Amino acid sequence: MRLDLTILVPHLGFLAEGALLTLEACVLALAGSVALGMLVAVARTSASKWANRLAFVYVDLFRNIPFIVQLFFFYYGLPEIGIYIDAFATGVVALSIAGGAYASDAIRAGILAIDNGILEAAEVSGLSRRVTFTHIVLPIALRTSVRPLGSVLINMILTSSVLSTITLNELTGNARIVASDTFRPFEVYVVLLVVYAALTYLVSLGITLLHRRLNRDLQGQVS
Amino acid sequence: MRFAEFTPFDLVLLAQGLGVTIGLFLVTSLIGLLVGVLWGVVRFYRVPILMQLVTFVSEILKNSPVLVQLFLVFFGFPAFFHLNVTPVQAAIVTLSANTAAFVYVIAVSSIESIGRDQIEAARVFGLSRWQVLRLVIAPQAAAFSIGPLTALLVNQLQVTSLISVIGVMDLAKIGATLNLRTLKPFVVWTAVGILYYLTAKLVATLGARLERRLRAHSAFRCL
Repeated sequence: MRLDLTILVPHLGFLAEGALLTLEACVLALAGSVALGMLVAVARTSASKWANRLAFVYVDLFRNIPFIVQLFFFYYGLPEIGIYIDAFATGVVALSIAGGAYASDAIRAGILAIDNGILEAAEVSGLSRRVTFTHIVLPIALRTSVRPLGSVLINMILTSSVLSTITLNELTGNARIVASDTFRPFEVYVVLLVVYAALTYLVSLGITLLHRRLNRDLQGQVS
Repeated sequence: MRFAEFTPFDLVLLAQGLGVTIGLFLVTSLIGLLVGVLWGVVRFYRVPILMQLVTFVSEILKNSPVLVQLFLVFFGFPAFFHLNVTPVQAAIVTLSANTAAFVYVIAVSSIESIGRDQIEAARVFGLSRWQVLRLVIAPQAAAFSIGPLTALLVNQLQVTSLISVIGVMDLAKIGATLNLRTLKPFVVWTAVGILYYLTAKLVATLGARLERRLRAHSAFRCL
């Protein structure tokens, strides 16, 4: 019945390795989900009815099915159709696809918030639709959606703990090993809880700074 | 490989898993709602130390993975406090606490959404703080919070899938069992995914209907 955290000291390096893997997976998956989210957001705001509907189905499905089910679907299903990738790659793919559904909503909101006048000005200036999109719509949409995208990232860090169920030894996976090595699960998981909370807190601080920096010319309007 | 194929009994298994998932979801949502609202009331009355404690606990619960919370309750508590915790008990405690943390945030913001002038007017009329809370704030806050609450519950339904990791025979665990036996991941996880999806849609629809009812007084009346 005594909380003795010193027993964790020899295992700190091992836990740090896991934390590094968690961060790696999350950074890769964030890149993947923002890329996917942009594509889907474009489809959802496009005039094409079919692209619109398809994108909606994707977002609806992946937001309403538990991540662990999606993960098992990919982890056990991909080898079935002849794609052999390791647990890390599967985890990153699954996180990207699930995160993409949330990211697309954030980016879509950013696109819809763009003033029509800006688009009309671009049209009058003779910019093609593609240039208007890549040089005007997307930069504005991305910087106004920094904050919602940040909460997607925070959610992703928390969700990445589920990757330990497909034998990926990230932070939670390593903590499970330490817990069964030391027979002190309480200490291990309490520390893990605090570490995750601290990690997400730091990330949210960073996002606030980034948001303020990117939108520094709009003080008072946004933020 | 006698039992490798799908049998009609698998449908019963799936239904059982769905029943466990929905049952635990309802129980933990109810407890979570009660506890979360209670925490909100603690904050409304500004109870000194309790208020800070509640805020801290809810922050920790919101910013750490549910999986780690589950491990803490299921592996950590028995080792530290010398208790016997069954998987179902651990699941109920963890999911209720997690739901409560999010409900607390919704409760606080919906209490704060009611204008100060209303509360002051009610106090001037001689209503006690409890009467103000019960008669003025509660009905409006309920209508205000039903939208975010529905979104939260849809999310919590998916979070229940994590309890399969500690061995509760819910829908995800049944899926894992069937997957191991039949080795047909696509069929199994698609079926499980569809069941989760339909349940989530049901929750969302019920929430929307309730919201329309509660907001009927402020809905636009055709002229």
